[in-house]
Amino acid sequence: MFSAKEKEDLLKKIHDSVVEFEEEVTADLCRQAVDSGIDAHDAIIGGLAEGMVTVGAMYERNEYFVPELLLCSDALYAGLDILRPHVRAGTEQVRGKIMIGVVEGDIHDIGKSLVKTMFEAAGWKVFDLGKDVKTDRFVSGVTQHDPDVIALSALMTTSMLAMPKIIEAVKAEKPGVIVMVGGAPLNHDIARRYGADSYADDAVSAVHEAARLFSNSVPD
Amino acid sequence: MNKSARIKALLTGNRVDRVPHFPFILGFCAKNLGLPIATIYNDAEKSFDAQMKTFEQYGVDWGPIYGYASYGTWEFGGEVEMPSGNYQQAPAHKMFPVKSESDIDSITLPDVKTAGCLPIAMAFSKLQQSHGTPISVVLGGNFTIAGNICAVEKLCRWMLKSPESAHKIIRLATEHIIEIVRYWADTFGAENVIPQFWEPLAANLIISPRQFKQFVFPYLVETGERILAMGVRHILHHICADHNANLPYWAEVPMGDPGLCSFGEEIDIDKAIEFLGEKAVVIGNLDPSLLLTGQPEQITERCREIIEKGKKAPRGFMFSSGCEVSPETPGYHVYLMKKAIEEFGVYP
Repeated sequence: MFSAKEKEDLLKKIHDSVVEFEEEVTADLCRQAVDSGIDAHDAIIGGLAEGMVTVGAMYERNEYFVPELLLCSDALYAGLDILRPHVRAGTEQVRGKIMIGVVEGDIHDIGKSLVKTMFEAAGWKVFDLGKDVKTDRFVSGVTQHDPDVIALSALMTTSMLAMPKIIEAVKAEKPGVIVMVGGAPLNHDIARRYGADSYADDAVSAVHEAARLFSNSVPD
Repeated sequence: MNKSARIKALLTGNRVDRVPHFPFILGFCAKNLGLPIATIYNDAEKSFDAQMKTFEQYGVDWGPIYGYASYGTWEFGGEVEMPSGNYQQAPAHKMFPVKSESDIDSITLPDVKTAGCLPIAMAFSKLQQSHGTPISVVLGGNFTIAGNICAVEKLCRWMLKSPESAHKIIRLATEHIIEIVRYWADTFGAENVIPQFWEPLAANLIISPRQFKQFVFPYLVETGERILAMGVRHILHHICADHNANLPYWAEVPMGDPGLCSFGEEIDIDKAIEFLGEKAVVIGNLDPSLLLTGQPEQITERCREIIEKGKKAPRGFMFSSGCEVSPETPGYHVYLMKKAIEEFGVYP
C-alpha cells in the first residue's frame, strides 16, 4: 500500500502526464495506481480529472489550442481505460447526465468531441449521439438516457437552423431538460431565440455553464 | 461605372465610384433559381448561370466562383458528399484518403486535369473566361487542404507528436496547389487568373499563432512566391474565421499587387486594414449568422459600420459576407447588402 504522501505524488504525476499529453506515461501511471491499491475513483478524480481542469485553464488562457486539447484528451482516455474497470460500485459520483450531438446536416464534430471530453473529465455521464443527428434520434435519446442536459452543436449557419425544431421536440419529450447550444455561427441571442437555455462558446465554458444551470434546476 | 470597369479600376489602383459588392453566395443562388444546392457544385453551367442571375438581382460586382471548403478530400482519393436535405449547404467529407501515418508515403499527387471536382472547376473557369468575369480557381489554403486529406484532428495530433508527417501532408497540398495554378495559368494566361485560397482550418479556433508560424506561414509564403513567379498578378486569400493572432504573419505573405484578402466576421475591418491594407484590397465581412437571423435594421446598421470602415482601406475595399451566405437566408436580407452599398458605399 502507498502512504498518503506517495499517493499524492502519484496523483500529481498522473495530473502532469495528462497536462503534458503523455498518453503512454498516463496509462503506465494509472496501472501503477491500480497495482498499488489506490482507489481507482480517487485516481480518476485526483489525477486525470484534475489534469483536465488544468488543461481547460490553459486553453482559456490561450496557452493550449485544439492540438494540445486533443492529445490531452487521448491521455485522459488512456488513463480512464485502465482505471474504470477498477472503480468500485457505489464510489463513482456522477455530476449529472448529458446527451450531446452535432445536428442534422453537419458533420463537423471536433468541437463536440472536445466538449464531450471536458464533461467526462468533470464527472458527467455523457451520451454521445455523434454527428449529423436527426431530430428523432435526439427525442429517442431523451427516452433512452433521461439526460439532465442536452448539448447541441453546429458549425454551419444552415445546419444551426435544425436547432429550434430539436429544442422544441426534446423539451416536449422532457419538460425541464436543460438545452445548451454551441458552435461557430451561434451566440447568446440566437440561442435565446431558438429556445435554448444557454449558449457556450467553448468546451471549457460549456462545463461551467451546464454545472451552473443544473445546480439551479435541482431543488435544495 | 459598370461592374467590369469597377473591378478593373480596383485592381489597377484607380478610383472607383462606389464600394464593389463581392460574392460569398453559392447555395443561395441555387435556391434562388429553384435548383438543388448540389447544382452549384456538380454542374458548371447551371452553377454559373444561377450565380450570374442572382448577382444581377442583388447587385454583385465580382463574377461567379466555383469551390468549397472541403476541397482536397475527393481529389486525393477520398469521398465527399454533395449537399442534400434541409440543413446542408456545401459538400462534406465522407471518407478521408489518408487514415493513418502509414498511408502518407503511398499517397501521390493527383492528376489536376481529372481529379475530383477539377474538371468541373475547369469547365466553370471557361465560362468565366467567355463571359469576361474574373477567372479564378478556388481551393483550400495549404493547411486546409492538408486537413481535408487526413482530417484536421489527425493533422493537429501529428503537428505535436509527429511533425514530419504533418509537414509531408502540407507539402503534398502545396505541390498540388502549384500544379493546379500552373494548369490554370497555361490554359488562360497567368495574368488573367486570380486564384482563391480559403484557410478556415488554420484559424485560432483550432491552432495557435505559434503553430501557424511553424506549419502554415512558410507554405503560404512559398506558394505565393511560386505563383507570382508564374506571372499571376493577384492572389485572393479568404482568411476565414478568427485569425486575429495570425494577422502579423498574413501581412508577410506575398499575394500580388494588390493582393486580395477577405476576412471572417471575427476580424474587425480596422484591424484588417492595419495589417493588410497597404498591400491588399480588403474584403469583408458581414456576419452570415446576422444576415440569416437578424432584424433588417440590425443588418443595415452592421453593413453601414463595415462599409464606412472599409472605405478607408488604402488599396480599396469590397463589401461581402464574412463567410458563405446560408442558402436559407431571406432574400430581402441579401438585398439589404446591395442597398447599404448604394446608401453608404459611394465615394465622394
